[in-house]
Amino acid sequence: MSAQKLEALLAKLYVDDQARSRFLAHPRREALNAGLTEDDCAALGKIDIVGLELAAASFARKRASLPPRKPRSNLTRWLRRR
Amino acid sequence: MNDRFGLGWRPELAAGILSNLDRIDVVEVIADDYFDAPKSKRRALKTLAIQVPVALHGVSLGLASSVPVEPTRLEQTARLVEETRPEFWSEHLAFVRGAGIEIGHLAAPPRTVATIDGTARNLAAARTIVGALPLVENIATLIDPPGSTLTEADWTRDILAAVNGALLLDLHNLYANSVNFGFDPYDFIDRMLQEKIHAIHLAGGHWIKAKSTNERRLLDDHLHDVPEAVYDFLEYVGTKTSHPLTVILERDGRYPPIEVLLNQLDRARDALRRGRAKRLSEAA
Repeated sequence: MSAQKLEALLAKLYVDDQARSRFLAHPRREALNAGLTEDDCAALGKIDIVGLELAAASFARKRASLPPRKPRSNLTRWLRRR
Repeated sequence: MNDRFGLGWRPELAAGILSNLDRIDVVEVIADDYFDAPKSKRRALKTLAIQVPVALHGVSLGLASSVPVEPTRLEQTARLVEETRPEFWSEHLAFVRGAGIEIGHLAAPPRTVATIDGTARNLAAARTIVGALPLVENIATLIDPPGSTLTEADWTRDILAAVNGALLLDLHNLYANSVNFGFDPYDFIDRMLQEKIHAIHLAGGHWIKAKSTNERRLLDDHLHDVPEAVYDFLEYVGTKTSHPLTVILERDGRYPPIEVLLNQLDRARDALRRGRAKRLSEAA
């Protein structure tokens, strides 16, 4: 579960500007709040800050370039396959 | 030796590819573009697969994760593989979502025993549902994955060993990570079991700067020409491998005339051929 919590927090840091700002201000507090282990909290305390900034910006550009996904009903999906 | 050289299939390149099949041995199709596609588009893919060998390339499964892959996503892949009968299919050693948040692109997971185990479980599920293991691709990352306890080379090698899998070695991703994080790319290649390298990706990228520090990192963007270093790596792979490889040039935008891409494929052919020749001369 710890590994899953770490991945969940990373996903949040990569896409959520406010969560990233809170984390950078108080990394240990935010990591503890996410339920991470002491080892993971320590690792996040040494996070590659430049990499985080660049990766978050790169992911944001990618998301912006993706076509919007409309939720489709099962019927619509079935009809499109015909 | 029947190495094969090809291009990523993109609508903007389709006409150029189809009119140059004498210089293109294989095309790589993004599987996800077809998951929800109308039947006519899937039929067109089947027709393409009759004309030229096709490899399917997934981008959204998120297999390199401690979180189990969603079976419905694998079932979509399985249907497409069944319809298309590709030469092989491939996916990235990446996670793409966490706790319901879609990152929107490929992210490097912490390189740990936990993610090796999770990736092995996900690859086993993929083999069961799709019917074959994907080749797994090393990804480029702008951030040194937090919480990692293993090098990228050891982590990748251990995943391949855990599932007896094979590698799609992306040489530009390797180049970008090596310059961004200061490791020896030739050492990375040496640390892979050579018989596990089945396919190669070539691409380009550009340097970007952090606003906060002006520090530069190389972004793998598939929008630029293949740099010299990547051809050098391909030649080196040729000195190490004796089995046929499939080499794909990826280009996702700023498309040059098709002749430019075909010339890059020719350069790749020359590089691999030089490596093969060196290997033979050293063995003699």
